Amino acid sequence: MEKAIKRYFPLFVLPTLAAFVIGFIAPFVYGIFLSFCKFTTVVDWEWVGLQNYTRIFVVNGKVDTTFLHSLWYTALFTVVSVLIINVVAFAIGMVLTKGIKGTNLFRTAFFLPNLIGGIVLSYIWLMIFNAVLQNFSKTIVSSQWYAFWGMIIVVCWQQIGYMMIIYIAGIQNIPGDLIEAAKIDGANSWQMLRNVTLPMLMPTITICSFLTLTNGFKLFDQNLALTGGNPGKMSQLLALNIYDTMYGTTGWQGVGQAKAVIFFILVAVIAVAQNKLTTSKEVQG
Amino acid sequence: MKKKIVSVLLCATMISSMLAGCGSDSAATTEGTDDAAATEESADAPAEESADASAGAGTGSVYLLNFKPESDGAWQDLAATYTDQTGVEVTVVTAADGQYKTTLQSELAKSEAPTIFNIGSTADCAEYANYIYDLKDSYIYDHLTDKSLALEYDGKVAAVANCYECYGIIYNKTILEGYCGMEGAVVSSVDDIKDFETLNAVATDINNRVDEINEALGTNLTGAFASAGLDSGSNWRFSGHLAGLALYYEFKDAGCDLIAGQGTVTGKYLDNFKNVWDMYVNTSSADKATLDSGAYNAEQELGLGEAVFYQNGDWEYSAFAVDNENGYTVTTDDLSMMPIYFGVDDANEGLAVGTENHWAVNAQASQEDIDSTLAFLEWVISSDEGRDAITNQMGLSAPFDTFTDEYASKNGFAAMANEYAAQGKTSVAWSFNATPAVDDWRADFIAPLTEYTERDGSWDDVKTAFVDQWAYYWELSNEQ
Repeated sequence: MEKAIKRYFPLFVLPTLAAFVIGFIAPFVYGIFLSFCKFTTVVDWEWVGLQNYTRIFVVNGKVDTTFLHSLWYTALFTVVSVLIINVVAFAIGMVLTKGIKGTNLFRTAFFLPNLIGGIVLSYIWLMIFNAVLQNFSKTIVSSQWYAFWGMIIVVCWQQIGYMMIIYIAGIQNIPGDLIEAAKIDGANSWQMLRNVTLPMLMPTITICSFLTLTNGFKLFDQNLALTGGNPGKMSQLLALNIYDTMYGTTGWQGVGQAKAVIFFILVAVIAVAQNKLTTSKEVQG
Repeated sequence: MKKKIVSVLLCATMISSMLAGCGSDSAATTEGTDDAAATEESADAPAEESADASAGAGTGSVYLLNFKPESDGAWQDLAATYTDQTGVEVTVVTAADGQYKTTLQSELAKSEAPTIFNIGSTADCAEYANYIYDLKDSYIYDHLTDKSLALEYDGKVAAVANCYECYGIIYNKTILEGYCGMEGAVVSSVDDIKDFETLNAVATDINNRVDEINEALGTNLTGAFASAGLDSGSNWRFSGHLAGLALYYEFKDAGCDLIAGQGTVTGKYLDNFKNVWDMYVNTSSADKATLDSGAYNAEQELGLGEAVFYQNGDWEYSAFAVDNENGYTVTTDDLSMMPIYFGVDDANEGLAVGTENHWAVNAQASQEDIDSTLAFLEWVISSDEGRDAITNQMGLSAPFDTFTDEYASKNGFAAMANEYAAQGKTSVAWSFNATPAVDDWRADFIAPLTEYTERDGSWDDVKTAFVDQWAYYWELSNEQ
């Protein structure tokens, strides 16, 4: 049987591989190539070397800080959203595995926001925020920090439910005898959490932090619909900044592409590093 | 053994399905080349000028990438009619609102690329330089009444306007006339509003006496001007249209082309901009600290009789038509349009007339397709069906001399533009069409304007953005 699998392996893998190459690898490689070109449409390019990459930071002898600004703004956004989402999702997950009344109802309610698309969700929240802030003569784009916390609230509201489900699955998978043994040993609830639940949950934490981290870095819909990058371009996260460069600035498609390549490398490096870090803390059950 | 057979069968199915996919693909391509070969043959015989549409229609296909979502239905019908009459295939695709550039870029990269697309300004011409077909000898350029409505680039007639539009200050003449009849009104007749000072005085007075006016006239006004929203759905009215007046007078002084503009601006007339802007903000009921919230709907404020003045263009006309079921109590009979008096040359200023809608023909399409496309455009502006669709269904004012009598524009605001012109006033050109990297420049200008308006920011920042960013983006967009 194993031999057969080995023999026919290429045949079985071929269709998926072909789809992956056509749908992902080829556009990706072509995208990297285009980042070294000046182009209007993707078939109409002209090689310009590293010009697009230098333009991200220096334009006509002037330092352009919009990309760097959106870089640290995104980094901060990601850190804050990862922390809040994971801590809250874990807490809710813990509560909803205690067997309290209406557990299923609560789980459904918490999960529901995740089913609404980012754009719609953000428009709804935009109305809520502005209706509240109007009383203080402010709007969600009054400053970049209003925009920042606005996005944090929306993203948390949307993702906590999803992460909660993953945490619940993880918590339910902790063997009952382990908990019982700890109880018999006289562990209090803090010790149980610290020495049993958390170590056993490390694989779940790896997944959840990976998802929230990449989601935070790649956030686009909510940014576009909620703030549109306003005020000025101060609340542009990286993805929106790239989009804006690509379609907003005349003749800058190549620069947008170059930013996208840098963006990819950045997200890949951070995600891999995070994965390594949390995986190393996992215990073999 | 059985398992082996199953797996072989599975593989065979997968491969055959893949091949089937490729197969139909290659079939389509061969079909395409056959077609092309056939058309090449027929193209050898030069298309003779003929009154019969079907003979001059060509053998290529037409693909229009439509810019205006609201006219999608009318274009689809028109395309179907043309196909029925001539057999030439016409595809009409409409880009989603605000997604034109995105759609155009991806569509142009395809083998079946649009043959007609929209170009807004000279800056767009530079970006799509490789795709611009010279329309110098085309029927549409020939019949364009005002040749300045065509965009020229690189010695070519790059794009031809397909409609002209006007903007100014839309006002509710019913309420305004009522106000003029009241005791202590600043003016006794609407016609007396002929310059910025008077308009400002009237707007301020109306705004201060809202309750009194409501009581006397039975209206439900909340302010003089409709809200000047600084959100992205509304701020183009100021970063584009209102700033256009500052640019217009500056270009006029400089003696450069009023539409193509020049690489540096000084912001000479920004103080006038500031005066008008302050009037908009201070004589409106909207809280000026929240203008960028996106919660305001200025059109609705005018439509429900809550405001008297509203800066916008003639495309708003259909929103106030009687048969438009949007619940507005104010209709086109109540409305008229006056120039945005800018305090520079008010005595001679008319409405701002121009367009951002130009047809460009894709130079990279095959010659048959280009011929068919030009024939189609000719039919659109010369046939009864085409003219009816443009004037009556799309409600546009067409700039071609073929649109006479029953096909003349029915837009009341456009008529006002002609009336002002007939009075000897000069229509203001759409100088904002010269804006380099238009989205970026406008965003950079709106940011300090928002700071100024909402949080007591400095006006100098607005001026700096206006001047410096113009030069900056101009240099960027025009380098090779």
